[in-house]
Amino acid sequence: MIENMLSDLRLYLHLLRMQWRAQSQYKMNRAIDIGSYFAVTSLEFVGVLVYFGPFPSMLGWHVGEVAMLYGVMSIGFGFAELFGAGIDNFQDTIRLGEFDRVLLRPVSSFVQVAGSDFRLRRLGRISQGCITFVIALRLLPDLHWTLAKFIALLLGIASGSVLFLSVLLLGATLCFWTIETTELVNILSYGGRDMLSYPINIYNQAMQRFFLFVIPLAFGSYVPTCYVLGRPLPFGLPGEAVFASPLVALAFALSAGAIWQFGVRHYQSTGS
Amino acid sequence: MVRFYFEVARTAFRRQLIYRWANLAGLLTNIFFGAVFSYVVIALFHTRPAVAGYNVSDTLRYTWLVQAMVMVVLTFGWYDLMLTIRSGAVISDMSKPCDFYWYWFSREYGRNIYYLFYRGLPTYLAGMLLFGFGAPGDWRYWLAFIISLLLGATVGIAYRMLYNAVAFWSLEARGIGTLFVVIALFFTGSYVPIPFFPHWALGIMQWLPFNALINVPTEIVLGKISGNTILFELARQLAWAIILTLIVRLVISIAARRVIVQGG
Repeated sequence: MIENMLSDLRLYLHLLRMQWRAQSQYKMNRAIDIGSYFAVTSLEFVGVLVYFGPFPSMLGWHVGEVAMLYGVMSIGFGFAELFGAGIDNFQDTIRLGEFDRVLLRPVSSFVQVAGSDFRLRRLGRISQGCITFVIALRLLPDLHWTLAKFIALLLGIASGSVLFLSVLLLGATLCFWTIETTELVNILSYGGRDMLSYPINIYNQAMQRFFLFVIPLAFGSYVPTCYVLGRPLPFGLPGEAVFASPLVALAFALSAGAIWQFGVRHYQSTGS
Repeated sequence: MVRFYFEVARTAFRRQLIYRWANLAGLLTNIFFGAVFSYVVIALFHTRPAVAGYNVSDTLRYTWLVQAMVMVVLTFGWYDLMLTIRSGAVISDMSKPCDFYWYWFSREYGRNIYYLFYRGLPTYLAGMLLFGFGAPGDWRYWLAFIISLLLGATVGIAYRMLYNAVAFWSLEARGIGTLFVVIALFFTGSYVPIPFFPHWALGIMQWLPFNALINVPTEIVLGKISGNTILFELARQLAWAIILTLIVRLVISIAARRVIVQGG
């Protein structure tokens, strides 16, 4: 078991190294790609800032607090996009019948799919998230930091990446049956991302519950940010719930993995 | 010849009809994003009753009109021309006995009309049902809106041809394409309604071509632009439609002289 996992990990790292070297062959292209993606994600954030010109706050959240939430979400989502590019492209693998070939190889299909792509351009979003976080710190000079808050933040970002990755995996799994419905999955991944760019208490109760308890993406950004800012959580959740984030993420990832396995077993080639 | 272009548009419209499920999924996505932005708007308006002459229901209408028009005017992720350049198929389109630009223009206009009826209208209706803000009233504004939307869609086609034409020089230009689209979305009110921008920025943004895409039609139908200003705004849209079309045609004619077909 452990040995299997180690060899899977070695294979995955090898695939990543190949992707890295391939993309490094085109230095200019890589630089333009990362730069343009940075510009795209920065414009999205500037959009949030513009709202706070005419309006002083969003249901009690001030610009610095929203910026911190946005930064945390961006970093978590950025890592998920970076490592999940292969999963995100899965519909092409299915549509072209490539998955038959994946299944024939005597190694984990998940590792092969996950390692099939690695998008360096996603570094653009991660760096935007970091800069946004620094801006948030400048806008919140009175924030009192403790070790617990720092740990909560790191745990939250790591959990956020795992959660978003699991959502991408669920979307990929759907392709086993639908061949392609990327747009519906976009509601969960990109829609979830846009939704969580703002404090979730602005949404109606059903949407809040959904993103806390069903697809618990809020544990990756909203819950840790509330803990750092000392804000109360909805539905009477204690602030310390943040330390459960890794467990929530793990449980969600395992469920997504189980559904993926189920999909793999029910795979019927597209053929042509 | 006009008949030929009309048939091209009609074929493009009918081809789009096949993708029923894809359109339904896209519609749900539009509605979801519309709902998210609506909650943001409602939360912000808790602190003030009105900004720049917009109250909360004006702003909700603005948000949903933008959501309804995005696919009509500024199709996200449109790389059809770029893909033909990469595959080499572009050369067969260039050899057709018709004008290359007007051929693509007709195709895209056919698609735009499809999206107007099968995506735009249902999106706005869903917003009306969910948030109960109603339709804007005056028929004269609706008339001006239709002209303005047609002009905006014309600017939009020229714009998407422009960033696809980048592929004549750099085969993988999707990253650049995304940047082009996001810039346009930002400056035409898709992230934040244009009237909410600070004054100094507005002075510049009104003179950018992006304003002609979605913001002008939206402000017209909401009655925020009225009287002779409507004529002025329509003229400015027309000017951008002509300028951008001429630029794209120039770029394509330069590219046509040096195009190297891949594969074979």
